[in-house]
Amino acid sequence: MMKYFIDSILYSYSQIFFCNRRWFGVTALAATFLAPKIGAMALCGVVISNLTAHVLRFDKEKIKSGFYGFNGILFGAATTFYFELDLFLIFIALIFMVITFIVAAVLENYLATAFNLPGLSLPFIITLYIFVIFLTNYNHIVPALTTASDLKFYEYLPQSIKYYFQSFALILFQPNITSGILIALGILFFSRVLFLLSVAAFALNYFFLHFILPDQAETLIIISGFNSILTAFALGGSLIIPSRKSFVLVIISILMVVIITGFFYRILLTWYLPILVLPFNFVVLFTIYSLKFRSEYTDLVLLYFKPGSPEENYYYHHMRTSRFERFKHTFAELPFFGEWFVSQGFDGKYTHKEEWKYAWDFVVTDRDLKEYSNEGTSLTDYYCFRLPVAAPIEGEVVKVIDGIPSNKVGEVNISQNWGNTVILKHNEELYSTLSHLEANSIKVKEGNKIKRGEIIGACGNSGRSPYPHLHFQFQLTDKLGDKTYKFPFAQFLKKENNRYHLKTFNYPEENDIVQNVEIHKTVKEFFNFKLGSELKFQFEQDGEVRTENWEVKINLNNEFYIESSSGDIAYFYISDKIFYFTSYNGKKNSALYYFYLIAHQVPMCYHQNLYWEDDYSIAQLPAGVIRYLSEIFLMYKSLINAKGSLNFEEKSDHSNDIIFSNSIEIKGGFPFSFYRKNFSGKVILNDESKISEFNFSRNGKVIFRAKQL
Amino acid sequence: MAEKKKYERPIITKHYSGLMNKFGSRAAASPKSEIDGVPIKKLISEFGSPLFVFSERQIRSNQRNALRIFKTRYPKVQFAWSYKTNYLNAICSVFHQEGSWAEVVSEFEYDKARRLGVKGENIIFNGPHKSKEALLKAINEKAKIHIDHFDELYEIIEITTEMNLKANVAIRVNMDTGIYPKWDRFGFNYENGEAWQAIKRILSNKNLKLIGLHTHIGTYMMSADAYKIAASKLVNLARGIKDEFDLLLEYIDMGGGFASHNTLLGQYLPAEEVVPSIEQFADAISTGLFELPLKIDEMPLLILETGRALIDDAGYLLTTVLANKRLSTGQRAIIVDAGVNLLFTSFWYKHRISPAQESGIHVEDAALFGPLCMNIDCLSDGILLPALKKGEHLVIEYVGAYDTTQWMQFIMMRPNVVMVMEDGTVELIRKSEDLDYLLDREVIPDNLKSVK
Repeated sequence: MMKYFIDSILYSYSQIFFCNRRWFGVTALAATFLAPKIGAMALCGVVISNLTAHVLRFDKEKIKSGFYGFNGILFGAATTFYFELDLFLIFIALIFMVITFIVAAVLENYLATAFNLPGLSLPFIITLYIFVIFLTNYNHIVPALTTASDLKFYEYLPQSIKYYFQSFALILFQPNITSGILIALGILFFSRVLFLLSVAAFALNYFFLHFILPDQAETLIIISGFNSILTAFALGGSLIIPSRKSFVLVIISILMVVIITGFFYRILLTWYLPILVLPFNFVVLFTIYSLKFRSEYTDLVLLYFKPGSPEENYYYHHMRTSRFERFKHTFAELPFFGEWFVSQGFDGKYTHKEEWKYAWDFVVTDRDLKEYSNEGTSLTDYYCFRLPVAAPIEGEVVKVIDGIPSNKVGEVNISQNWGNTVILKHNEELYSTLSHLEANSIKVKEGNKIKRGEIIGACGNSGRSPYPHLHFQFQLTDKLGDKTYKFPFAQFLKKENNRYHLKTFNYPEENDIVQNVEIHKTVKEFFNFKLGSELKFQFEQDGEVRTENWEVKINLNNEFYIESSSGDIAYFYISDKIFYFTSYNGKKNSALYYFYLIAHQVPMCYHQNLYWEDDYSIAQLPAGVIRYLSEIFLMYKSLINAKGSLNFEEKSDHSNDIIFSNSIEIKGGFPFSFYRKNFSGKVILNDESKISEFNFSRNGKVIFRAKQL
Repeated sequence: MAEKKKYERPIITKHYSGLMNKFGSRAAASPKSEIDGVPIKKLISEFGSPLFVFSERQIRSNQRNALRIFKTRYPKVQFAWSYKTNYLNAICSVFHQEGSWAEVVSEFEYDKARRLGVKGENIIFNGPHKSKEALLKAINEKAKIHIDHFDELYEIIEITTEMNLKANVAIRVNMDTGIYPKWDRFGFNYENGEAWQAIKRILSNKNLKLIGLHTHIGTYMMSADAYKIAASKLVNLARGIKDEFDLLLEYIDMGGGFASHNTLLGQYLPAEEVVPSIEQFADAISTGLFELPLKIDEMPLLILETGRALIDDAGYLLTTVLANKRLSTGQRAIIVDAGVNLLFTSFWYKHRISPAQESGIHVEDAALFGPLCMNIDCLSDGILLPALKKGEHLVIEYVGAYDTTQWMQFIMMRPNVVMVMEDGTVELIRKSEDLDYLLDREVIPDNLKSVK
């Protein structure tokens, strides 16, 4: 309870700077106490807000995250900053703190549900204006003259740098430069991206202000300064994934901040109201909201998940796109058995053009890539002729065209282009078509429900088909000859010399030799984690034998995860035949953590020569200090990347163990080209589908080893 | 300078005008002068005569073809090389490189496979005779043991209980598939319920894991339909096992027995015309197996133990003419240096035999005898061959299956065996035997040692 209470306070302080770290909360809290009265009132503000929320039974997780608390901090600090507090005023301020919470509860939630926008600090601004105007009813209120007490220590600093730190300090209504330095340092440690944005934002603000409003520059420099910094935080990295484009957006937004500050300065002057963070709120909310109306999403990506630091957001987003960009919830398989050759792929040279470009022609070839034996003059010379073709996904037969005779080799039937064809319906917007089938080979009837892999007919040479082949396409309707729809196969193996390459959510390309993935019972039994199942692991760490229990659970969003007995969580996803870990939260020395890294993606099959690849977020690897340095350039691009190469190992003698190994390489780009790290891992699965060992090595040395009990 | 024309000895041939048939007269045998580009002459001058020659290229393409044909018709397929068909190490190794497991029917074949590096779990142990020691080894090494009879089943139960081991087993099932002869001497019978009893007996024992069903309906099968019937019957058993015991079998082993393109003695039409193609066998088997009402990913692995059809046409026997003779009947006779000691299969095949060099266009009916001083040593009692001279060569084709396992050292020693590799080089894969090799195993009791 105490921890929850303290967390709710620290996270509230953190939130003001788009941060989610306790230690940063401590830093900010300390910074406010450089002016103790302001610090005390700010603390009072957050405590009252959170207590109110708690008493009124608001969502605990939200309270803990600082969602309701940070407006209270700002309000508490602002009251002391603007007024000399006496007992009466303190009493009024305490009441207003409750009001702050209520306004926050309304606004934050309303903006979130109605516009999917963050409430930012609007609640604080509104309550403070009400407070200030309300106080004009009294004559005895004395405005405070809060000034910096540490100016003399920083005389040697250039004025612009002092302004920069003061801008930081004033976000928390702190007059002192030291507070600003503390916060700036905290930001640097929390996120290089944010730090860089703060410097850039302040510099741009300085430039624009002197360029556009030279007469007001001295008056507005700090106000537009902290508005610029917060705006840059929001649009450059915290609410938008950091990128080159987000940086351009920051430049434009700061110009707007300067103009809007000039505007509010004029308007609010007449009411004797402070500008506060109004320009920041205004610019950010309008920009974010307007971006939601784009017809096409570019690489300017609004945050679509629970925010972390801009770096974490960046890694999460990029890992997700590289791993699951083409992900679909319908898992299609190749519509045949064995290895087939793609004789025409997308944008093919014969018929797969324009509206029909997303189609495949499949044939069977021999070791010399020939499609036929003998002379190839008779249909039966062709290897694929009369081979069974199967349903790629379960569904319903919606159209059957049969009875069109086979063409002789080299001839085509242009009046019945598609030849004997079956169209299958898989869901409301996914249909598949198998064409040029052999006459009278079709085994299904319209209306039949069919399973994936069920044979529907035989490959033939009917319609516009000079030699036997299977034409296959996905489409959006049940119309014969409708335009093709680009839809990936969930998983297939591509033959490369003597190896097989696992492709997931991908499209076979022309001249590829492809086949489906064959389930292997042992691998499937382990990785097909069932809800509620429990696993127990034993390992040695720091000289003692430890155990860790895992339990498979599911959350409200239907996401499966494994929770370890020490509270770590690894999310996973199973797409029919492939197991994926999607993300991990928790300690980086647990068995679950190492297993998450090694078994990042595992097909539930076994092929001796199969290999596959996967991308990692370097945030989840033990990457070291260099990673933090490289993040200075993150808005330009990620200079350090991590890739995993996985493969099954040959089985050893006398054992049915299935072993796969993973080698993860972290590689730096210029100027970090010297940076390279290698991790590797191995999972040994015995024939009872238990892990007899998994281990993780750094630079060839095993640093973790565990076994399933 | 133009090459000197070959001298052709005159022959007198009787004209049978009334016996013309619709296939026309048989043209003079075209010479088979090289194997995969290597001249026969060169092979014989280097490795002697007679000589067995295998083509690596042919073996690999046979195996790949067969695998392709089955895999494009059924989702999970595994071949297991039938050791008894040809267990020369080099031959087995080519098959293992192509991904085949080993199918053995004796302890020595089992050990041979193990020495070649085949893992226990990739060996199928068939056959009616497996010693206790062999069973124990196979159980320990996780081999797939195909039980042939109840006594073997009891022995396995005894071993596993005694030593607390787990055995992976399947049963061999025999059945009526409408063909003759009915092979009911191997395995448990389907129709009389013996197979089902054996299954129940296995499933009631915790040390035995029933992983598959096996049948092998015959050899040199001329009907593909029989395989469909056999597959359906195994499917019935598999369905029963699933319904009653909720157990999904790992595999169904359809054995082998596909006919090769060798023509049987007494067969009127050449084999190419009457023997079903591997495609037809594959269609029959997959159609039978798809009667199993399972999801595609739950279907059992299909194992095939094809031997003959994969190796027969990759083996050649080169032989040299020793003499020409005229028999009392007036029929010509040719004596060559390879006899039934090397060509056991001549007891049931009409082998294709071609001259290795250009010869005249006229052919004469000839009896072909081997070098043994035994009356049975007759390779063919009537074959049309052109005139041949002493020292000229003949190529006997389709001898890859069984000839180098059933050959014998009788009167003559066994000759060299070579393999023409894919890159055109020729490798010796079995050295010819000599007297030392023969005597090495012999022991003379002391009192017999002095020869006066």
